[in-house]
Amino acid sequence: MTDRPLSLRETMASGLAGLGCFLGIWTLLTVSGLVPRQFLPTPLDVTSRFIQLLTTPFAGATLPQHLASSFKRYIVGVCLAASVGVPLGLMMGWFRWLDDIMAPIFEGLRFIAPIAWVPFAALWFGTGIGGPVMIIFAGAFPPCLINAYRGARFVDPRLIEAAQMLGTGHLRTILEILLPASIPSIVVGLRVSAGLGWQSLVGAELIVAASGVGFMMVQAQANVSTPTVMAGMIAIGLAGMLIDVLLRQGEASIRRRRGLSA
Amino acid sequence: MTRRRQTWVGLATLAMLVGLWFGLTTWSGAVSSGRFPSPADFWSALVQILTRGYAGGELFTHATHSVILVVVGFFVATATGVPLGLWMGWSRRAEAIINPVFLLIRPIPPLAWIPLAILWLGLGDAAKIMVIWFAAFVPSVINSFAGVRTIDRPLIEAARMLGTPRWRFVTEILAPAAAPMIFTGLRLSLQAAWTTLVAAELVGALVGLGLVLNMAQQDIYPGMILVGMLSVGILGFAMTWLLAAAEHRALGWNMAAGSSR
Amino acid sequence: MGSIRFTEVNKVFGPNSGGAKVLDDINLEIAEKEFVAIVGPSGCGKTTCLRIVAGFEQPTSGSVTLNGRRVTGPAPDRAVVFQHFALFPWKTVRQNLDLGLRNKNLAKPRRDELIAGALHLMNLESHADAFPHQLSGGMQQRVAIARAYVLDPEVLLMDEPFGSLDAQTRVVMQEELVRLARVNPRTVLFVTHSVEEAVYLADRVVIMTRRPGRIKEVLDIRTKRNEEEWNRFQKIEDVMDQESFIHLRTHVWKSLREEKPDNRS
Repeated sequence: MTDRPLSLRETMASGLAGLGCFLGIWTLLTVSGLVPRQFLPTPLDVTSRFIQLLTTPFAGATLPQHLASSFKRYIVGVCLAASVGVPLGLMMGWFRWLDDIMAPIFEGLRFIAPIAWVPFAALWFGTGIGGPVMIIFAGAFPPCLINAYRGARFVDPRLIEAAQMLGTGHLRTILEILLPASIPSIVVGLRVSAGLGWQSLVGAELIVAASGVGFMMVQAQANVSTPTVMAGMIAIGLAGMLIDVLLRQGEASIRRRRGLSA
Repeated sequence: MTRRRQTWVGLATLAMLVGLWFGLTTWSGAVSSGRFPSPADFWSALVQILTRGYAGGELFTHATHSVILVVVGFFVATATGVPLGLWMGWSRRAEAIINPVFLLIRPIPPLAWIPLAILWLGLGDAAKIMVIWFAAFVPSVINSFAGVRTIDRPLIEAARMLGTPRWRFVTEILAPAAAPMIFTGLRLSLQAAWTTLVAAELVGALVGLGLVLNMAQQDIYPGMILVGMLSVGILGFAMTWLLAAAEHRALGWNMAAGSSR
Repeated sequence: MGSIRFTEVNKVFGPNSGGAKVLDDINLEIAEKEFVAIVGPSGCGKTTCLRIVAGFEQPTSGSVTLNGRRVTGPAPDRAVVFQHFALFPWKTVRQNLDLGLRNKNLAKPRRDELIAGALHLMNLESHADAFPHQLSGGMQQRVAIARAYVLDPEVLLMDEPFGSLDAQTRVVMQEELVRLARVNPRTVLFVTHSVEEAVYLADRVVIMTRRPGRIKEVLDIRTKRNEEEWNRFQKIEDVMDQESFIHLRTHVWKSLREEKPDNRS
């Protein structure tokens, strides 16, 4: 902060230098023989493997196909989490008795990492879609719930008073006052839950899946195909980034429409 | 509702849940013991792992091993992540150089490092530490960075006006000012470390709570699964609680903002 | 010691060709131990003037010197009292005062002595080991002033220091500052929105135009103040009741009103 801000040119130059150093050292480690190529493929190896996987199948499907399987489960899991979490959160924010009953349950479950549900998921669903969906749900549900809850709980009390004065019933209050007022908070929750859901998906697919990118990586690991493992990591990272960027745009536009600063 | 009433309602809910548990499993048999353990199943599994052991060790052995790995990994990750984050926050040049590499690593979910870690380091402790490091490193960097960037500018200017030399500035101004956000990062790091360790142990391990869960699943032993899950939950809670206590000690002066965000 | 000179100071924020010109050809001499207040409409650059003397900003052209030497960066010889106090929340009052002294590499006994003096001066003795958040706004500002005073600076730079205090506390602090200035005089550059405050406290009042800020007028208060012996009054309201005070205050008001956008000819 005592540094003056860098110009665009300086920022890009520094960034390229950093990136270049990183990739350079990486390549050097492999090419010099310091680390066997089998374990540390060069960045080029990984990139070409990535491109190869776009059309050549591995562990039963091409990379896009694996991604599609992953995505299917992901969407189901996140939508389920949102459609249960948001309404429940709003109601808990509104009906204090519901909050008092449910909050201790969630507080208790909070400390059980989503991934710890995998054994039960495997037991109950085998390698069907239910397994990963359950884990994704476990990861994506809390932010949806919490943010909807906070949105409803901390609505400007004067809005509530105005609604009460106008004789508004419970359901209408929730739908027409709490929900719209909580949208900014809910949208943030959705973005966070999408991120957590994606992370949980990866974990789940490492264990309870027969397709999908996580599954592909585990198979690649078993076959000591390091470039494939790394290509998988890149694919997962890129997909996760894309999801996050899209949701941030959505969040920003909603905030703009509401007149809130970004 | 007062605190006391809240506790009573909480306990009542708990009692209701336990009752539900008994009801659905033992009494009505609606949920078969192959799917979810009855209280009796749970109890016998617990007794077994406490006394005779399971998956190669007693509960204490598994739990301690897991916890030690998490603690070690957490310390290594935060000891590297926090200074890096502070540095990037302070020096725009450092930020510009390091950011692209960081952005490359950041989107990769911690769990996605597991196959690579196993490939490189096998099923032992080293692989677990590696994965924990990647998981816990990122939140520490990000939050320490944010902690520096959100420091009130007048505080920096006041310190400069007072002629504060560099090292004193870092230890007496920068670090304390960024401390609340640093602790937020530590909390996230700990959470990530614990979750990632359990996942890594689930995928492949020789000892640990994740292994217990894995074996229990393969043996179709729901009672033990539940024991494993509860252990994970309780230990997670305990570690979080300890960190929160440390945070309260360190941030006693921070009345205005409150220490947990 | 403690004389300041602005020579043809210009300040542009942003790129030189298209940026906002905040200060336009500022020339001002402040004698040692003189108390100068700067008033002007919002955005006129008065705070920027102060920050340039403090060393937080550099002039785009022209120079600011202290005792003939150019000002390059912040240092304890030009102590700053910030509007929102800028006390370090994790340090006690005593530790806040101690930092500047430690930076000067003074030995502990000397530091303790100076701190005790500053605490006594600002009536903070009973709060020496409290944290800032435990103190009221007025007390926090006293600590900020004490932190500046303990350094025995040549120049005291105060940027709307009483702006975030409530009206009653503000009055008390103004009286305090006058007392300090008489007891422990040094060069003071005081930026404020309040005309009364400026006329009450200062030896001279600099009136600035709206952006780009130029010096419109410099009013001499001290002569009138000594003539009319305002110092015989303890209470601020008695001073403000004097015809001479009202006259000067109204003069400044009128001058400032001309700077309102719709009033300029």
